[in-house]
Amino acid sequence: MAQRRRKNRSSSKKDQEFISEAEEILDRMRQDLADLNDKRVAGAEADPDVVNRLFRSAHSLKGLAGLFGFDPIQDLAHRVEDILDGLRLGRVHLSLPVVALIDESVHLFASLLEQIGNEEALAAAAEPIGRLVERIQAAREAPAETSEFGELALEPSLLRALTEYEEHRLRENIRRGRHICLIDANFEIISFEEGLSQLTTAIREVGEVLSTLPAPGAAPDAQIRFSLLVASDRPASEIASRLALPAGSLRLLRAGAPGAADTAPASALATAQAPEAACHVETAESDDRAGGGQRDAVEAGAPESLKSISDTVRVDIHKLDELMNLVGELVIQRGAIGELVGRLSADAATARIGSDFAKVHKALDRKLRELQSAVLDVRMVPLSQVFEKVSRVVRRLRSDLGKEVRLELRGADTELDKLIVEELVDPLMHIVRNALDHAIEPREERIAKGKDPEGRIHIEAFQRGNHVVIAVADDGRGVDTAALRALAEAQGIVQPGDLLSERETLDLIFAPGISTRSEVTETSGRGVGMDVVQTNLTALGGVVDVETTPGRGTTISMTLPITLAIIQSLIVVVARQRFAIPLNAVHETLLIDGSEIQRSEGRELLNLRGEALPLRRLAAEFDLPAASPDAKPFVVVIGLGETRMGLLVDRLDGQQDTVIKPIQGPIPAVRGIAGATELGDQEPVLVLDVSALLADLGRRRETP
Amino acid sequence: MSAGSDAAGSPSPRWQDLARRAAERRNAEVESVAVRQLLTFVLDASPYAVPVARVREIVRVRPITPVPRVPNDVCGVISLRGEILEVIDLRLRLRLRAAQGGRASRIIVVHSADGSVAGLLVDGVSEVLNVSEDALRPPTAAEAGNIETLCVQGDRFISVIDLDRVLGFDAQR
Repeated sequence: MAQRRRKNRSSSKKDQEFISEAEEILDRMRQDLADLNDKRVAGAEADPDVVNRLFRSAHSLKGLAGLFGFDPIQDLAHRVEDILDGLRLGRVHLSLPVVALIDESVHLFASLLEQIGNEEALAAAAEPIGRLVERIQAAREAPAETSEFGELALEPSLLRALTEYEEHRLRENIRRGRHICLIDANFEIISFEEGLSQLTTAIREVGEVLSTLPAPGAAPDAQIRFSLLVASDRPASEIASRLALPAGSLRLLRAGAPGAADTAPASALATAQAPEAACHVETAESDDRAGGGQRDAVEAGAPESLKSISDTVRVDIHKLDELMNLVGELVIQRGAIGELVGRLSADAATARIGSDFAKVHKALDRKLRELQSAVLDVRMVPLSQVFEKVSRVVRRLRSDLGKEVRLELRGADTELDKLIVEELVDPLMHIVRNALDHAIEPREERIAKGKDPEGRIHIEAFQRGNHVVIAVADDGRGVDTAALRALAEAQGIVQPGDLLSERETLDLIFAPGISTRSEVTETSGRGVGMDVVQTNLTALGGVVDVETTPGRGTTISMTLPITLAIIQSLIVVVARQRFAIPLNAVHETLLIDGSEIQRSEGRELLNLRGEALPLRRLAAEFDLPAASPDAKPFVVVIGLGETRMGLLVDRLDGQQDTVIKPIQGPIPAVRGIAGATELGDQEPVLVLDVSALLADLGRRRETP
Repeated sequence: MSAGSDAAGSPSPRWQDLARRAAERRNAEVESVAVRQLLTFVLDASPYAVPVARVREIVRVRPITPVPRVPNDVCGVISLRGEILEVIDLRLRLRLRAAQGGRASRIIVVHSADGSVAGLLVDGVSEVLNVSEDALRPPTAAEAGNIETLCVQGDRFISVIDLDRVLGFDAQR
C-alpha cells in the first residue's frame, strides 16, 4: 500500500493544494468585494460583516501563501490585509479607489496563481506587485490617526488604572501590531495568588501580560475577579483554547495588525479549515462566520477566466469517515462470504460450485483490497504541512529567545491519516518548544562547553511498517535524571527507596505533576507538559519514547499508526473468549512450555533470545478463568516504539481484517479495550488497546 | 399492539412513528402532559415500564460478548447493524434474582441521557400503555431510587424505571 501511495504523489501536489485553497479564498473575496462596492455605490456604510470577512480572507491567504512559501503572494496579501484592517477599524474610508485597489489585488492574485510552478513568470510579477503595494500603502496612510487608545474597546476606568510603564507596554504592543485582549478570571479569595500566578505563567507562553487589574463588576461569593490585559501574536481564538478559557472570558480589544511578525499563518490555516471554531472568540467584536455557507452563485463579475485551475475537490473528513465505514462493512461481509465458500467446498455434494464460488470470492477480495487502499489513500496527507508550522514556530521562538538554532527537517513527504496529523500538531509543537526553550543552552554556555554555538534540532519522520515514527532530536543539555528523580521523590511520585531502572527514571518526565513544575525546566530542561503529550499520543494509539545523553542531547520519538481505519488483527482466545490484537503491534507469536516462564520480583519473564521479555497473562488482566496449568500457552509479543511485552493467551485464531468501532453505552471507557469489531458472525470481538497495556506495564510496579 | 412480536432487525415503522410522536408531544406541551406512553415489560414476573420516547427499538437476544473490568450488571456488548452497544442486565441492575434468559427475553434499546444508546435485557416485553398523569404515584421509600414513579393500572402497580439513574454508571463509582 505504501508504495502505491508514493507513486501517486506528484511533485506539484503541494502547489495543487495551495492553488485549490487559494482559489476558494479568492472566490469568497470576489463576492464580498462586489457586495462592498454595492454598498459604496448606494452610499451606505460598509457592512462590518463583509469587511471582516474580507479581512479574514486576506489574512488566510497571507498565511496560506506563507505556509507554502509563495512570498510574492504573501507580501501582497499582507498589504491588502493592512488596508482592510484600516477599513474595518474606520481608519480608512470606503471609497472607490480603495475598492478598486482591492479588486486589482484580487485579479493579480488570480493571475499569480496561474503562474505557480513557473518561476520566471512569478519573478516577473514582482514589479506589478511592488507598484500595487506602494499604491496601497499610500491609500492607507492618507487618513489621520485617531486618538491614542481610542480604538481599544477598554473601559476608561481600566485605562486610567494603568501605570505609565504599562501604558508604554500597551502602546509598544499596539505599535508592533499585536493582538490586545482582556481576560477575565475568577479566583477563590483564599487561594487567588496561586491561581493568578498559574494563569499568568500560562499566558506568558502565548504572549505578554501587560497589566493585572482587579475587575469591575460583582464576583461570586468568596471569589475575586481579575482582568488581565494581554498582548499576543496569537489570535484570540488560539489563546482561549491554549488556556482553556471558559467562553466569554476573553475579549479581543484590538485585533493585531498584520505587521506582527508572522502573526498567525498556523491559525489562518485553521480558519480556512474550521471557520466556526476559529472565529468563536472573536464574536465579541465581529460576526460569526455563517458567510461561508452563503456563497450562492452570486457572480462578482470578474473578467478573467472563471474556470478553476486546479482539479482538486475538498471533502469533509466526515464524508470520508462514512465511506470508510461502508468499506469496513464490506470487508466484514467478505469474511462471511469466505466462510460460506469454505463450507461449500468442504461438502462433497457442493464442492464443484464451491470451487467456482471460491474463484469469484477471490476476485471480489482483490477488488475490495484495492477499494480499501484507495479510500485510505484519500485520507492520507503528507507531514509537510505540520513541518511548515513547526519551522515557523521555531523561527519566531528563535528570535524571541535570542538563541541560535538550526532546524533540520527530514521526511516531510511521509504520509499519515489526516485526523492523526491534526492531532499530532500540538504534541509535536510542545516537544519542539521544550527543546528550544529549555534543552538548547544559550550561546555562551554552549561555547563554554565546547559545543557548536549554534544549537541543532533535527526532526525526522519515517515509516516503519504500519507506523510512522517522528523523532525530535536536540543537541542540548539532555535530561538530568538525578534531578528528575529527586523532583519525583519530592512530589511523592516515587519513594526514596524505590529501585528504578534508567529507563523507568526517564519515564518519570511523563508523570503528571512533574509537568507544572518550573524546577525541571531549570535543572533538566525537560518535562513541561510531557504527560499531556503522552496522553494525546496514547489516545491516537501511539507511544512516546525518550532517549537522552546528559550534556549531549535528547531524542523524543513518537510512534503513530498510519491510519485509524481498517486494520489487520490477530485473533486470540482466552477462556473461550476471542480478542483482537491489532497486528501492527504484534511482533511475533511463540508457543512455549509453562516451565520456560521465569520470575523476578513476582513479575513473570521470558528469555527471548537473551532479552528479558515481561509477561502478562491476559486471563488474569481481565479476570477470566485461567487455562489448565499443563496447557501450553501462546505468547504474543506486542510492542510499540521501544517497549515490548508478552501476552499469554490460550490459543491463536488467525488473522482478520477489522474495523475498530467505539462501544456505545453508559459504561465509561474500559482501560485496555480500544473498542470492538465484528468478524462476520453476530458476536462482537473486543479489540485490545495495546498502548494502554504497554503503559500499564511500566506503571504497575508491585511493591513486594 | 404487542411489541414483543417485533422481530430482530430493523424496527417497524409503526414503532418509530409511535416513539417520534411521543417525543413530539413531550416537547410540545410541557405543562399539560395529560397522557404518557409507557412500554411495559416483565422482570422476575413483575411489571415494569420505560417511557416510549426513550425507546429506540426492541430486538431479540443475540450473542453477547462479555466485557472485562466492568460492573457485573453489565452483560457485555452486542452488535446491532454495525453498532456496538453495551447491554445491561436489568434484573441485576435492580438487584433482582439472576435468571437464565428465556424465549421471550428481549433487549430494549434505549437512548441514554448523553445521546448514546444502550441495551436493557428484560424477561419479556408486554405492551405500550397510554396512561394519564393522575395514574402516576410517587415511588415508596422502599424502591431504592431506580424507580421514577409508580403507575396504577387496575389494581396493579407498574414500576416506571428512572433511566438516567439506571444508566448512570459513572456517578456511582
